[in-house]
Amino acid sequence: MPVILNQPWTLLADKTEDYAWFPEAASTFAAENDWLYGVITIVCVIFFIPIAFSLFYFAVRYRKPKGGKAESNTAHNTPLELAWSIGPSFFLVGMFILGAKAYLNHRTVPDGARDIKVQSSSWNWSFDYGGGTVHPELHIVVEEPTKLSMRSTDVIHSLFVPAFRAKKDIVPGRYNYMWFEPTVASRKVSDEELAAAKKKMKDLGEENWNFDELDFTPDGYTYYDLYCTEYCGLNHSEMQTVVVVHETQEDLDAWIKKYSMRGENEDPADYGRKLYSRRGCSGCHSLDGSKRVGPSFQEVFGNKRPLTDGDVVVADENYVRESILYPKAKVSAGYQPVMPSYKGQLTEDDIHSLVEFLKEVSEYSPAEVVAGDPESSNEEKPAEGKNATDTEAK
Amino acid sequence: MSAGSIPSGKVRDPGYPTKSENYLTNSKGILSWIFTLDHKRIGVMYLIGVVLAFAVAGLLAMVIRLHLFQPDGAVFSGPKANDYYNQVFTLHGAIMVFLFIIPSIPAALGNFLVPVMLGAKDVAFPRLNLCSFYLWVAGAIFFISALCASQLDTGWTFYTPYSTSSNSSVILATSGAFILGFSSIFTGLNFIVTINTMRPPGMSWFRMPLFLWATYATSIIQVLATPVLGITLLLLIAERVMHIGIFDPEFNGDPVTFQHFFWFYSHPAVYIMILPAFGIISDLISVHSHKRIFGYRFIAYSSIAIALLGFLVWGHHMFTSGMGPLTTIIFSALTFTVSVPSAIKVFNWLATMYKGSISLTTPMCFAIAFIFLFTIGGLTGLHLGTLATDLHLHDTYFVVAHFHYVMVGGTLVAFLGGVFHWWPKMFGKMYSEWGGRIAALIIFLGFNLTFLPQFVLGSRGMPRRYATYDPEFAYLHQMSTIGALLLGAGLLVALVVLLHSLFRGKRAPANPWGGATLEWNCTSPPPFYNFERAPIVGDPYDFTTIEWDGENERYVTVDPEREIAPEEKPETEPAHAQSDH
Amino acid sequence: MSTIEAGPETAHNADGHDHDHPSFLAHHFDTPEQQFDSGKLGIWLFLVTEILFFSGMFCAYAIFRMLRPDVFEGCSQFLNTKLGAINTGVLLFSSLTMAWAVRCSQVEDNKGLVGMLSATLSCAMIFLGVKAIEYSHKWEMGLLPAGLFVYDPANPHPPGQPNYLGYICAPFALILVGVVIWLIYSIVTANKFQVAIAKPLTVVCLCFFVGVGLGTVLESGGSESHVGEDHAGDTHAATDEGHDHADGESHDTGEEIAGVMVGPSGDPLLIVDNDLDVKDESAVRQRLATDATNSGLQSEIEARQRQSSVAGTSIVTEDSEIEGAIEKVENEVLTARQAGVFFSIYYCMTGIHAIHILAGIGVLVWLLVRAVRHDFNRQYFGPVDYVGLYWHLVDLIWIYLFPLLYLIR
Repeated sequence: MPVILNQPWTLLADKTEDYAWFPEAASTFAAENDWLYGVITIVCVIFFIPIAFSLFYFAVRYRKPKGGKAESNTAHNTPLELAWSIGPSFFLVGMFILGAKAYLNHRTVPDGARDIKVQSSSWNWSFDYGGGTVHPELHIVVEEPTKLSMRSTDVIHSLFVPAFRAKKDIVPGRYNYMWFEPTVASRKVSDEELAAAKKKMKDLGEENWNFDELDFTPDGYTYYDLYCTEYCGLNHSEMQTVVVVHETQEDLDAWIKKYSMRGENEDPADYGRKLYSRRGCSGCHSLDGSKRVGPSFQEVFGNKRPLTDGDVVVADENYVRESILYPKAKVSAGYQPVMPSYKGQLTEDDIHSLVEFLKEVSEYSPAEVVAGDPESSNEEKPAEGKNATDTEAK
Repeated sequence: MSAGSIPSGKVRDPGYPTKSENYLTNSKGILSWIFTLDHKRIGVMYLIGVVLAFAVAGLLAMVIRLHLFQPDGAVFSGPKANDYYNQVFTLHGAIMVFLFIIPSIPAALGNFLVPVMLGAKDVAFPRLNLCSFYLWVAGAIFFISALCASQLDTGWTFYTPYSTSSNSSVILATSGAFILGFSSIFTGLNFIVTINTMRPPGMSWFRMPLFLWATYATSIIQVLATPVLGITLLLLIAERVMHIGIFDPEFNGDPVTFQHFFWFYSHPAVYIMILPAFGIISDLISVHSHKRIFGYRFIAYSSIAIALLGFLVWGHHMFTSGMGPLTTIIFSALTFTVSVPSAIKVFNWLATMYKGSISLTTPMCFAIAFIFLFTIGGLTGLHLGTLATDLHLHDTYFVVAHFHYVMVGGTLVAFLGGVFHWWPKMFGKMYSEWGGRIAALIIFLGFNLTFLPQFVLGSRGMPRRYATYDPEFAYLHQMSTIGALLLGAGLLVALVVLLHSLFRGKRAPANPWGGATLEWNCTSPPPFYNFERAPIVGDPYDFTTIEWDGENERYVTVDPEREIAPEEKPETEPAHAQSDH
Repeated sequence: MSTIEAGPETAHNADGHDHDHPSFLAHHFDTPEQQFDSGKLGIWLFLVTEILFFSGMFCAYAIFRMLRPDVFEGCSQFLNTKLGAINTGVLLFSSLTMAWAVRCSQVEDNKGLVGMLSATLSCAMIFLGVKAIEYSHKWEMGLLPAGLFVYDPANPHPPGQPNYLGYICAPFALILVGVVIWLIYSIVTANKFQVAIAKPLTVVCLCFFVGVGLGTVLESGGSESHVGEDHAGDTHAATDEGHDHADGESHDTGEEIAGVMVGPSGDPLLIVDNDLDVKDESAVRQRLATDATNSGLQSEIEARQRQSSVAGTSIVTEDSEIEGAIEKVENEVLTARQAGVFFSIYYCMTGIHAIHILAGIGVLVWLLVRAVRHDFNRQYFGPVDYVGLYWHLVDLIWIYLFPLLYLIR
């Protein structure tokens, strides 16, 4: 039965691979989980078929015209009833034991597992690979146990990788942990294919990578889906990202290096734009002047900012830097002091890049000091560099 | 009281009520309904109320399904699309749970049936009964205002900290749920007292119809679990208003505490929803098979067992939220124990049908559909109770499909079966049998088409509460949406059949199905005082003396050739009650 | 309503044998015993739901006490044990009078019943009066639930606070005036029935202010026993003292606050703490505060120390590590996150209890009216009995609340 369930589910249509009962089995948990699922399903079918059969059979067989009398009026049969009360319990005990055993395996993180810190916030994921490298995609190495230390900055989220059959809630105010060991590595698509896809994306005018159409990431890896499964508000269904499983540690290191710092010849403003999407700025700060949790970057730099305490400051380099490191020191009027501090999380070069980026996107004219009009969020204006994170989830 | 023509032997039949006896017509005017203390009228008002609530929530469900017809959302578009979707599924869940499923069978059918089945004149506290109806109305108004004030988007579970930080009408909605909780408590309290103290002579515990047992078990849960919901919602409101820091992590609270509090009520509430359905099905299967219910005591005790075990399993809603491994495993073990009493009932119902004399009437069709659907719902619960598989399936469409099989395939279908079964008794009209059967068939097919694909969706990892989804899930979602439209059509047919009967239906006899419980011993509809004198309490499942009177299309009780026992006129009048008032 | 009543009555006539129901027996009951048993079972079930309702809060209390025991110990010092104790006594006494009232109704002693019900009501009012003093003082000091917590140990007594006590007392004063007018009116119109109701109610309403007075006296008394030992027990003298030394604080309640703060310092352990925690900067203040008359400064130091002990728990540091995003929070906010939770639970528990007292007052007044109307007799005393059970439960819950919140340290 488990084998059957894993086979393509061909009842319905031609695109067989679209009708598999399970997603791809890509972790050590998957085989055990699918097997157990199959066992339970078999037990269910063993019970269900006789029940359904006798239900309809009795309904037809003992159907009588009105006024007919029942052939039997047995009130009870204690041995029989005890039998069907106690009999199924053995199956239940079996399921419980198998399930609990496998569960303990899920809960027991093996020693020496690679630890990746996960921070979730509405509606972004960020994975911390150490050394200041933070990226919204989860990249791990095949056949290496990986532990995720997860925390949430706002509401409850839940990290779910169907291909790994693993899920854990992320509760604010505490750390939750999970682990898994991927067994199937992502494929790297050919450079031509990647280039073609990139060109296509550009031609379509889509600023962001369309994960719905392409089954590989902008770096050219095939991926597994990663979902948030605990309802977390407005864009809950868009709080998705991808898991890439690298063949080797070297491959992963190379990938990390690519994202860990500004390229040698890279323009700071361009790198700042990347940081803007990667480090979750985009969750609260828009680029098109619309008001989100925080002020739009369009109106920050070079403008006069009214503060909650009544002062007005000009947002210069120092103000921006202070706001990144000590966000609660000077809070713009009309906003809550909810921004987390990025002290120790961004290098000086990162901050410099962000400042340059802000200079680029901000409109300087002093007339723009007014806080963003909430209405303008309705305008579908694809501002340049609209964050990747929002839409990279499909 | 006139009796129809007598086929043969000594026939007992209450005949038809006069206009001044009929509880529907004995007093006139809108005020006679608004201030009525008659449990039957209150039951009818509840029935109208819950059906309206169901219509609203059902339409919202249609909106959800239509939206999910396309991966990017088919109904709502623009930047607020997700917001609208979230509001719609929140209101669908909240209205269905708090305004429809919980009061549907206990409050609507229970209010009508409990005293009549018991042989009492009314519930123990008629004023309290009316009060709980108006609390229900008040709660409903709060919910509707949350709908109008819009933006409630927390899901019906109000999980913190989203519900404390969300900028929406949470306080309005939770106040509504709080009020509805009290409505539910008072109803349950009333039924417990009624069943304990108002049984007429001869009505021993084990002569009670199983519907009463189920109602009794339900009432126990209502009384014991709902106060905890009350305080939880009150604390949630306090958390929003003044940030008391019990649930909100920003003030050192723990959101998981809220989940414990919430599910301590809401899991037993699942049994508030399903236990009365068990009671209805037990009676339906027995009456329409014209055969004694098999294993009366097992069914009765299993209701109580479910009620009590239901209090111990709330933790299975939080297998992934980071409880300790030992706690989690204990909750898993307890969860499995609850499945045993449910299984007992299914086997007993099948054994009741075996060698019966089955009439495939509309209520029986619904009962058969119930057993089929509930069995699927119950069995898929095993996948979720097993810890390892739950880690994969938790908060996916598998869960959605599972609880819809139990709540809709179970409770809603049983509710419909019960309404069709007791409709002649409530309104004195027979409906079109074929219309009813066709409705049952469409509902059965539509339901399966809606929710079977969702099991596959969940197994493949489609998370619930998603406004948009990956294109690989589209085919299954589209099947589901088509099924939902079919289900909606079936429900509409059922409504039309019932409404049509009110105007064009034949006059119903006292006992159209051949039931042996007490409600079939009074006229259809019952007189406002239920029973002239305390009725003769017989075996509720003894069908040997009930004969079909084909001439008048009714069942009659034919008393065997023996002297009527002296308790025909019981000495219920106490000495002190002899004085005039 | 007439239509409803019409139903049952015609039923009786139609049956022909039901019109022998006594007037107090509802139509759907066969015997008074059945009616009484139903009511009794109903009220017991209702009490079960009440217990479960409160149990939710007791659970919250247990969880947070377990997580942060030091916060609870630090904060319960802010509660005035004397006021709690006097309230416990008042409620216990009211339980006695309530039980007595039930007895009176059973033996058809109507005069006794009215008297005992009034006594119970008066006790309830005294309880609320004392509670009003407790609440208003904490509100003035900003000892509020976490989200509203503004208590500042440096300035425990910010000026310009609204007169909370006045706001609490206003509705009661209005009711008192109303009842007195009603009493006079009914005396003038010689309506004996109304006089019989209004007279005890006037006493009951006055009792609220007796409670307020009692609370005020006890608060000042507390401060005198510890601060101003050389003063006589005259409240006014103590209040004047407060004016002299409370650094320009201008309202009357200054002395009472000092009472709250200083009261617990009678505990020798705390004095030791105080000595250990002396810092050089505050040495001068400390010395000033040793002057028994300088109650304002003394209470300030007391509060500072309490505050630091609250804010400086190990749990705070742990938490601030976990919540990386919020680690830059100022000290005051940390206090709100700690002490605020205690006061949240305190207000939730005592507030809902107070609401139950108010509900109890409502039904007791209804009973009083019925008692004056001679509704109860040997066969029909159910309502008195049921309300009695409810009142005992409310009392019982307080008996748990008092040690849990005030005493455990």
